[in-house]
Amino acid sequence: MEKQNEVKKLTKKDITKSMWIFYAGAELSNSYERLQSLVFCASMTPILKKLYSTDEELSAALKRHLIFFNTEGIFGAIIQGIAISMEEQKAGGENVTDEAITGIKTGLMGPLAGMGDAIIWAALMPILISIFLPFASRGSAMGGIMPLILYPLITIIISYGLIHNGYSLGKRSVVSLLHGGKMKSIIFTANVIGLTMMGALSASYVSLSTPLTFSFSSGTSIVVQEILDTVAPGLLPLAAVFIIHFYLKKKGPYYNRILLSVVIISIIAALSGIF
Amino acid sequence: MNILLLAVLMGFYYWFSRLRFGYTFSSMLLQPVVIGVFVGLLTGNMTLSMQIGAGLQLVYLGVTSTPGGNVPSDPALAGCIAIPLGVLSNMSPEIAIALAIPFGVLGVFVDQLRRSTNAIWVHMADKYAEQANTKGILRAAFIYPAIAGFIIRFPIVFAIVYYGVDAVEKLIAVIPEWLMHSFEIMGGILPALGFAITLSVIGKKNLIPFFIIGFFATMYLSLDTMAVAIFATCVALLLNLFKLKDEVA
Repeated sequence: MEKQNEVKKLTKKDITKSMWIFYAGAELSNSYERLQSLVFCASMTPILKKLYSTDEELSAALKRHLIFFNTEGIFGAIIQGIAISMEEQKAGGENVTDEAITGIKTGLMGPLAGMGDAIIWAALMPILISIFLPFASRGSAMGGIMPLILYPLITIIISYGLIHNGYSLGKRSVVSLLHGGKMKSIIFTANVIGLTMMGALSASYVSLSTPLTFSFSSGTSIVVQEILDTVAPGLLPLAAVFIIHFYLKKKGPYYNRILLSVVIISIIAALSGIF
Repeated sequence: MNILLLAVLMGFYYWFSRLRFGYTFSSMLLQPVVIGVFVGLLTGNMTLSMQIGAGLQLVYLGVTSTPGGNVPSDPALAGCIAIPLGVLSNMSPEIAIALAIPFGVLGVFVDQLRRSTNAIWVHMADKYAEQANTKGILRAAFIYPAIAGFIIRFPIVFAIVYYGVDAVEKLIAVIPEWLMHSFEIMGGILPALGFAITLSVIGKKNLIPFFIIGFFATMYLSLDTMAVAIFATCVALLLNLFKLKDEVA
């Protein structure tokens, strides 16, 4: 078989440019119909324009990347990297089918979204906000400025590493990411830090106490809060967190129902003097 | 700063932060602590602005971490309305938080509207792909959703901030004592929601003792957040060490 000779080589810059387009718009054009497909296609435009010279080829490639796609935007960069390397091989005359490219993309978007959600959103973001929250509570602007700088900085560095890794290693990059014990231990570490921080913040910011006192005819009286405090300090705030937590676990994410319940309970408690 | 200008700038801020330009950058931009910085700069009252922002942040701390990008509550709409109104009428943070909650719920519907209209641009992009028009695809992915977002989002915040200050001041003057107290209780309990959501998202039952450790480390030893973060990191790293050893052995 005759191979095409004028293979256009992509540069590191092209790939980084593709990363920036995806980073800039991963949520911007998100629609119920095809979620991130539009921005994925948009992020491939500089690559595809360079690889395919005829309008027919370019149009086919663009359409290939407009099909349903959705993942976590930071870890998803690795999928972009792999898709770019596959397109490059295809344009170079190798036998890479449309189905192979689409298959890789749709096959990887789920597992990587799971990983990205666990690390980037459930752990890194709340941890960064929490560390600087005490500044905000004291009225300092640093409480907002530091997370605004650090969160994008850290996540963009991760994206940058992953897209180039995906491009140069292809499919192998994901195999090592998914099966190496490294990712597991990163998630474990992030979860331990995250949960400990949430506990510490709950202790400082959830406040709930009861003024209830029972007086007896003998002249003695029982102050309920004092009894609770002798058992352990902060039992009521701790109970509040865990009651909501178990409700979420059992019934699902009905945040507005919980908000409304808190409003009603607060009003009843204020009127009856329980809290 | 006069109210008209403030209302216009808050409307712009809400639009821009919710535009989601820059994946993780914009998601931080729409957090109440960051909105607090913006309102603080505009009004000159950084202290109160950040305090209200911090209080609101606690309520919405976990909301960002829900998978799939579906917002169950909109911290940006809550913050862009409650923080400026709270600062201008000199509210206590608890009351500002209570005021913010309904707007957070309203924001969910606004986002559904945006994601539904965004489907139009995908169809437009299908046509551009047919014509191999890469510039058209970039326009459909960035420019059109931005314009539609502005039409959907700007007017809400602008109108409520502009007309709200008067209304809120009158409202506060007539709030009875018991209602004030229930706002205080609410302000104390609501942060529990943020923590409970994060707890549920991380969700591993066998890791819950770490939450308890963090809680009582603060209660009994009064450690500050940074200290807890440092100790937690060390403990996590050490546990990894032992776990790896077990697996090798």
